[in-house]
Amino acid sequence: MDPSIIGQMAVSGALMGLVYALIAYGFQLTYATSKSINFGQGELVMVSAFFSLTLTNLGLPYWLMVPGGLLFGALMGLVVERAGVRLALEQKGEGWILLTIIIGLFFFSAAENIWGRDDRPFPTPISADPIHVLGVDVTRLELSVAVGVFAIMGLVELFKRRTLLGKAFEAVSADRDAAELMGISATRTVMLSYGLSGSVAALAGILVSPITTVGPTMASALILKAFAVAVVAGLDSGFGVVLIGMFLGALESLASFYLGSGWREAPGLVLLILALALRPTGVFGKATIRKV
Amino acid sequence: MKRILLLRGAELIVFALLATIPLLVVSPYALGLLTLLAIYGILLIGLDVTVGYLGQVNLGHVAFLGLGAYTAGLAVTKLGLGMAPALLAAMAVGLLLGGLLALPALRLEGPQFALATLSFAALSTTALNELEGLTGGAQGLSLDRPPVFGHALTPPLFYWLCMALLAVVWMLMRNLLASQWGRAFEALRDSPIATDAMGVGTYRHKVAAFALGSGLGGLAGGLYAFNFEYLQPHSFTYDLMIILLLGVVLGGRKSLWGAFVGASVIVLLPNLLSNRLLFQIFSGLGFAMALASGLRGLVKKTTRPFQALAPVAAMGMLVVGGLLVENTEDWRKAIFALMLFSVVVGLPEGIMGFLALFLAKLFRVPHAPLPEPADLDAVLPARAADGSPLLVLDDLKRHFGGVKAVDGLSMTVRSGSIHGLIGPNGSGKSTVVNVISGLYTPSGGTIRLRGAGLPSGSLLRVAQSGVARTFQNLQLFGELTALENVLVALKGVYRSSLPRVLFGLARAEERRAQAEALALLDLIGLKDQALARAKDLTYGAQRFLEIARALARKPDLLILDEPAAGLAHPDVLQQIDIIKRVHQRGITIILIEHHMDVVSELCDTVTVLDGGRIIAEGTPEEVKRHPKVVEAYLGQPPQTDISGGAAPLPA
Repeated sequence: MDPSIIGQMAVSGALMGLVYALIAYGFQLTYATSKSINFGQGELVMVSAFFSLTLTNLGLPYWLMVPGGLLFGALMGLVVERAGVRLALEQKGEGWILLTIIIGLFFFSAAENIWGRDDRPFPTPISADPIHVLGVDVTRLELSVAVGVFAIMGLVELFKRRTLLGKAFEAVSADRDAAELMGISATRTVMLSYGLSGSVAALAGILVSPITTVGPTMASALILKAFAVAVVAGLDSGFGVVLIGMFLGALESLASFYLGSGWREAPGLVLLILALALRPTGVFGKATIRKV
Repeated sequence: MKRILLLRGAELIVFALLATIPLLVVSPYALGLLTLLAIYGILLIGLDVTVGYLGQVNLGHVAFLGLGAYTAGLAVTKLGLGMAPALLAAMAVGLLLGGLLALPALRLEGPQFALATLSFAALSTTALNELEGLTGGAQGLSLDRPPVFGHALTPPLFYWLCMALLAVVWMLMRNLLASQWGRAFEALRDSPIATDAMGVGTYRHKVAAFALGSGLGGLAGGLYAFNFEYLQPHSFTYDLMIILLLGVVLGGRKSLWGAFVGASVIVLLPNLLSNRLLFQIFSGLGFAMALASGLRGLVKKTTRPFQALAPVAAMGMLVVGGLLVENTEDWRKAIFALMLFSVVVGLPEGIMGFLALFLAKLFRVPHAPLPEPADLDAVLPARAADGSPLLVLDDLKRHFGGVKAVDGLSMTVRSGSIHGLIGPNGSGKSTVVNVISGLYTPSGGTIRLRGAGLPSGSLLRVAQSGVARTFQNLQLFGELTALENVLVALKGVYRSSLPRVLFGLARAEERRAQAEALALLDLIGLKDQALARAKDLTYGAQRFLEIARALARKPDLLILDEPAAGLAHPDVLQQIDIIKRVHQRGITIILIEHHMDVVSELCDTVTVLDGGRIIAEGTPEEVKRHPKVVEAYLGQPPQTDISGGAAPLPA
């Protein structure tokens, strides 16, 4: 087996894996504040990508389309929070799992009917010509994924550390009740986290669409792997998701090469079940002590 | 008697009607739908075990349908097996894989459980698709319904077979879910910690429940294969899973009738969606229902505004959509979503939950009568207390990282005594209790009960050794009644094997158990509220119930973790009275308490902890005067200056 081919597959797989990491990061944002995640996040990625495509088709330049798409994603995130999560959190139940699945289903059906069932290309000004780096070929498009992922994760982390609102976010993540007693509205912070998470999902859609095309089912495989990355890395480690995301991306790219493309999804699913069985808090997650 | 007649009568009538249909109706289409109804009925009863009883979002049930279908299909085509063995194989595969999946999924709750099952479902679709040599992959697998006893199964015969199986499953599950098993499933959902601490065992019950539900999924899969005689991997995907969840939730959780209603809805949905007029009528009806119940909730203030209005909005969208959209079939997923949303938010008990209340009132269905309470002396025989050492802690340690919560504790609890354990907040009392009862593994030292080592680090095994406990933060099974809370923990009555339970041969045992549980409820003064749900009881009653439930373990040693915390004064007096009565039966008690008057009145010996170590031990009076105790509670005492030159303390 030619090592350069293996290297090539691993690198392009790992770059793809950054998209999983980005979506998984979106789970972490909401999990931190509310211990809930949006099971319909894949549909959020998809509708935001479709919306951005429409913006592009309306003639908006790429650099205006991106913020438009992010805004739309944030808006949809807020819809999910209001309709699917808030009530369940108030009742301290787990109804949000079912409700976010349901809202995702609704988004899916709406997208099918508004934008059609077919996969469509997503135009981008970034070139898809390969450039040669250290013996492997990468395209500017693939590199743009990496740049976008690190840029938004960096921005969000800066926001959390440097702004007052961001510190409120961290306070609610650390101890919801104590934060409330200090006059921070937990409800609004949870809204903020869902808005951010929606934007992150939208960016994932915009970054991945030029590579995969846009269609109603574009995120159904993506989301399973994002779940896997989030669970394996642990729902509280931003560094972990990047590492595990790249690892999983490389692994599945090799799996599809050796086992056949149908098995592409298998490593992520197996990893997820294994991680849940062996280390439910994730490789990089913190263990908690049970109290009664 | 009237109750039995009404409930069983309704079941009998429905099944009799369903059985006669093929004699009256010849439409193969209608017969096909009814066959599907029976198959989905079995499938949803299985799904309800996890979704309803275990209370977990299970996204993997559809995989068991698929795996069961392929097992039956392959058994017939590749192995040439007959129908009965093929169906058994399908069910066995469901049971087995369900049990296997439950093992890693065991420790998981909520989202993690949902993700584990979702991944399993995706993985099994991948496998069915890719193992082309075996399953034919995306090409699909064709099979013929094998003859039974040399007769080809015509559609009516196959229909009867499915209905008969549904009836059998129905009967067995009714018996099982009403038994100790069903209660354990529900207990597990409400408080896994208490389930273990009551000696029930979350582990085997969770595996059993999941395997059982999956086994029924497999059986339904086998029937599915013989119904359609053609299988494709993509029939068993997430889309169908959502529809199945719709069925269970809409029909009503924790209800066989709910599963039946849900199955009917699933079967009729495609027809409902293909006929626009019919759809408009039904969406209008749904809207009216949502509006009526929403308004009622708002006026009576029983629901939050969101809970009342969101379903109305969702149903409104359905009505408007029904008028605007030409082809409702295109929007089927959105329609499912809106329906599911309305039900989950506005009607969490489902159609049957709502209807059952209504029908029970209409026909005045009485509650099943309760037996007379058993004699308390038979339930909790008074034991002789000889004052010998019962529980001996030797140099017990429990560290959390650098925090030494318990740091070298040696203590002897004598048989028949009430041993108080007190200390300021953070002194390690609760940690001691959690180590003894097995929630935490000790970092060092030994615990001996009657001279033998007590198992460490397992709530379940400690509970089975004869130690029972209550919880400072109540861990009752909220959805179960007071009586059921006690029944779950009851020791020494349930002996029947699973088959006897399934066939309903364990009823005498259940009566005896109820009588014993009532005697315990009588002891704490809650006999009259035996049928109230635990979460509806007053706070004081909930604290008393914790004790009754622990007593159902018939323990040698009872650990009461702050039994008077947060109680109003009259309730504190009643609690003291209850503890005295328990003590009179010769049960040794460890009492953790903050109320000094409670401790003084009840305890023979008191151990005082501070910083994870013992600072004093003795009778309540001795301990109260002990300088170290005074210091621990009140801080450094003012220096008594012998020379008399100290400035007077400011008043």
